[in-house]
Amino acid sequence: MAEILALDDVQDATVLIGKILTKKGHNVHTFTEEDEAIAYAKANKVDLAILDIKLKKMSGIEVLELLKASTPEMRAIMLTGYPTVETAREAISLGADEYCVKPIDRDELEEKVEKVLKGKDKKSSINV
Amino acid sequence: MEQINELKYLKVFQKVTKLISMVLDHQQVMDTIVRELPGLLDIDAATIRLLDPSTNTFVMGAAQGLSMEYLSRSHIDTDETMAMINSGYPVAKTDVDQDTHFSDQVLVSQEGIKSVLTLPILFQDSVIGILRLLTRRNRIFTSEEISFSMALAEQVGIAISNGRMFQEMENQIDFMKEVQEISALVNSTLDLDSVLNTIVERLPRSMSCKACTIRLLRPQTNHLELVASHGISEEYIRRGEIEGERNIAVALTGAPVSIFDVSHDERVLYKENMRKEGIKSLLAVPLKVKREVIGIIRILSDVHHCFTSSEINFAVTIAEIGGTAIQNARTYQKITLLFNQVEESERFVAGVLNCIRPQLLVIDKDRHLVLANRVFLAAMGKEEQEILGADYHSLWPGHDCPVEHCPVEQVLATGQTATHEHQLIKEDGMHWVERTASPMLDDTGQVEYVIEVIRDITAKRQLELEHLERVKLQGVVELAGTVAHEINSPLFAALGTAQLLEEEMKSEELANDVQTIIRNLKNIGELTKKMTAMTGFESRDYVGKTKIVALR
Repeated sequence: MAEILALDDVQDATVLIGKILTKKGHNVHTFTEEDEAIAYAKANKVDLAILDIKLKKMSGIEVLELLKASTPEMRAIMLTGYPTVETAREAISLGADEYCVKPIDRDELEEKVEKVLKGKDKKSSINV
Repeated sequence: MEQINELKYLKVFQKVTKLISMVLDHQQVMDTIVRELPGLLDIDAATIRLLDPSTNTFVMGAAQGLSMEYLSRSHIDTDETMAMINSGYPVAKTDVDQDTHFSDQVLVSQEGIKSVLTLPILFQDSVIGILRLLTRRNRIFTSEEISFSMALAEQVGIAISNGRMFQEMENQIDFMKEVQEISALVNSTLDLDSVLNTIVERLPRSMSCKACTIRLLRPQTNHLELVASHGISEEYIRRGEIEGERNIAVALTGAPVSIFDVSHDERVLYKENMRKEGIKSLLAVPLKVKREVIGIIRILSDVHHCFTSSEINFAVTIAEIGGTAIQNARTYQKITLLFNQVEESERFVAGVLNCIRPQLLVIDKDRHLVLANRVFLAAMGKEEQEILGADYHSLWPGHDCPVEHCPVEQVLATGQTATHEHQLIKEDGMHWVERTASPMLDDTGQVEYVIEVIRDITAKRQLELEHLERVKLQGVVELAGTVAHEINSPLFAALGTAQLLEEEMKSEELANDVQTIIRNLKNIGELTKKMTAMTGFESRDYVGKTKIVALR
């Protein structure tokens, strides 16, 4: 069981992530506001952060940088509806473990989460 | 006895009169007199010296029976004797070799001279020379002899003056001819070297002199520079600067300077060089243009020569003619230089105009073509002489550019730069042309010429079009990406939720319906995937004028 933080500007997307991963036995904390998510991560243990790249005020890349700065061992999966080479390169350089393109399949999400949490192939299998 | 003497004097007088009447050249008169007098008057030697008015000294005219060393002494006689002579009185002396008051007494002794009768040569009450009768034995000249010698000297004065006048007249005629010839020669050319060489070659020949030099003042430094010479050696030329010589300084003030004996004259510095070169006398005259002295001509003689006034006038006249010719040649040189510079500038400008890529033409205010570059001529397929002067509008028979849009007309009407772009059909297709006309104003601010630059901007237009297409594509791609992104998040939520719902469906019929939803949501996902990955699009007809886009 892992502590998972999900941040997306679309609330339904965070709800869905929460439902899918809760069923897999994880504790999922969903956010649509960047400030709240960052504050939570600073105050609580987070094993994995699932971050959308397009947010309301900041980019998911910037949030990743802040979270990694305070919790370097935290795993991260980046989600985006608009993949670009630049965002993928930057996310990996900041320590993202996966880079997934929406709409991601439920099975694919479950598989990626398990793989990242097990710490296997941390720096590879980037799916752009 | 007295009658015998008178008869003798009459015979001598008749002989001298006959001798001097037979010759007209005053030099010959002097030579004849000094040659014949010793025999006629029973003396050992005779000399005639002539007054050089420029220095007020007596210079040697002719001598007989004396050594060169004696003749070259610095003083003719004592100051008292010379004063008497200058006053028109004869002076008879004996035992002159014993006269310790005379500075050249040693030379007199060496020569063995004992008695001297010095007589002024008078002409119209003016002393024009000295006749000296010398003996090597003591001789007391009687008053009759002195009176007779005075009359003889006066006869010599008349003969010399007549000879001089005749010579002067002859010289003047010759000089007039020479002036005409030299004038014609120096005015027949505008080449400075030819002018200078003509003068230095002809002038000494006309004056029976050895050599001639011309020095011109350099305008920048005001120093004299030797620009032409004739009849002198390179060694003599290289002897040094002569600006310090007084004859030059005086000539530069505008006055001619005549020097009878350069070896003893203080106005000459390089006496030894002149001796080696064989120069005995010189005449320096200023080269003038109007009143301005631009240089010096020096005429050098290899025999002692007292330059006469007609010779000096001749040289001055030639110098004036030469000065004008030199000035003309210099002006011509300057004009030629300027002309060459203008030609060079024109060639440079033409080169620049011909090297630039756009067509360039210049039209005058009457709409005549006055200049066109090579590119324009090539574009028109014509030679320069075919179209220069042609009416501007006749150059465009196809009326590619309507007159109301013609930038040249706009410039002529407004005086402001004007540009017009239009299309042109050529063999290889449609071309875009940009015509820019600019005014060239005269001193009053009116348009004098119009400069038109014609540029083929087809390539530029194509680039602009391509750029526009790229911007459009970029916009479409960005829009597609943004739309896909905006769709993907809710699509993700909808698809995931439907998949969760499918799992919990008990009814097979409802499960099938949810699967239909999932399948279609996945189709939308494929579409958004295409949208995010698109690199181009194609417009396709839809209905009527409406078009839709096919993604690539």
